[in-house]
Amino acid sequence: MSTTIVRTADLEQRERHADCMERIADEESREAFAELFEFFAPRVKGYMLRLGASESEAEELAQDVLVTVWRKAGMYDRKQASVSTWIFRVARNRRIDVQRRTNKPALEPDEPMLQPPAAEQPDAAVSRGQMEEQVRAQLATLPQEQLVLLQAAFYDGLSHSEIAEAFDLPLGTVKSRIRLAFARMRGGLDAPE
Amino acid sequence: MTRRNDYPMSELYSAYGAGSLDPAFALLVETQAMLRPDLCELVAASEAVSGALLETAEPAAMRAGALDSTMALIDALSPAAPRAGAIEDVSALPEPIRRAAGASSRWKASVPGIRRMSLEIDSPMHVELYRIEPGAAVPRHSHAGIELTLVIAGGFSDALGSYGPGDLVVNGPDDTHRPVGDEGDICFALALRDGGLKFTGPLGMIQRLLGQ
Repeated sequence: MSTTIVRTADLEQRERHADCMERIADEESREAFAELFEFFAPRVKGYMLRLGASESEAEELAQDVLVTVWRKAGMYDRKQASVSTWIFRVARNRRIDVQRRTNKPALEPDEPMLQPPAAEQPDAAVSRGQMEEQVRAQLATLPQEQLVLLQAAFYDGLSHSEIAEAFDLPLGTVKSRIRLAFARMRGGLDAPE
Repeated sequence: MTRRNDYPMSELYSAYGAGSLDPAFALLVETQAMLRPDLCELVAASEAVSGALLETAEPAAMRAGALDSTMALIDALSPAAPRAGAIEDVSALPEPIRRAAGASSRWKASVPGIRRMSLEIDSPMHVELYRIEPGAAVPRHSHAGIELTLVIAGGFSDALGSYGPGDLVVNGPDDTHRPVGDEGDICFALALRDGGLKFTGPLGMIQRLLGQ
């Protein structure tokens, strides 16, 4: 089986992205926006294509997501999540909205869950940053057999049964590999399997 | 039949993080995470994984001039109109519930002390918000299929126990439960019913998780 090299954004890049978000929020910096656009628009487009959008739909959705990034940059809090997680949430919810095609007015501005769930402990901000670092460190060394299943579950959103069928694996194997991989992501295991 | 919090729901979190979860269940997961710090961590971890995977995604080149088009869209934005007709009761509830309720949703009177609001969720599940005053009893009802009730605020009790914010109660078709609002705050609860239909895909997974 070939090895996929998993390259996440390193800490410096992630800090730069967070700086860009803050500059958009504070100064409406178009330069900062352009930098985020360059990194994220193609990745959001790739995500939409992977979900089955046509080329022009994916293009339009990616632009739409980045417009939302501009509009809602003031809601981003670098202590709560990485910019990737924040933008992924927007992209994910845009996908849902498009599938639903609803037009009903809402009580609140129409972006859901731009704040992570409330219930924060005082030191949660520190542990969030550590978790983001932990997730990326683990992704870099995750065995291929766990990585592809993790992607299928957390990125493509397939159920365990769908994954078992797609990869021609026993359901029990799928469940245990994903459980293992997710536990590693959360720092639950001391040594790699 | 299973009751509070004692069932495996872990598969929901990856589906939630990836955005493929049925909207009714996504609403449930979001709202419960806001009430339960332990589940909040699971949701945050799921989203961190999904976000990190976005960084590793194969970039698909945007069309020439995409940045300029996007800036043009931004320049064309007008400020959002103020929303009218907010429902005061609902405005104090967690954001996912407020969003789902929408400006046009209305409380419908049921028996005295009980009000119900149908939530328009694009799902085969039937989703309702309940408003239960202290001492008020939700009429005894049985139902085909599964019913999940998430307590959002206040609490209710039935023959098997008392439930507060963040508690998720699961009832099967044979349970003829009669929840009564607890003393103190008005109880708000989110109820999902599948009406006895058998689902495939992610909803089928949930039904199997819950033993149906």
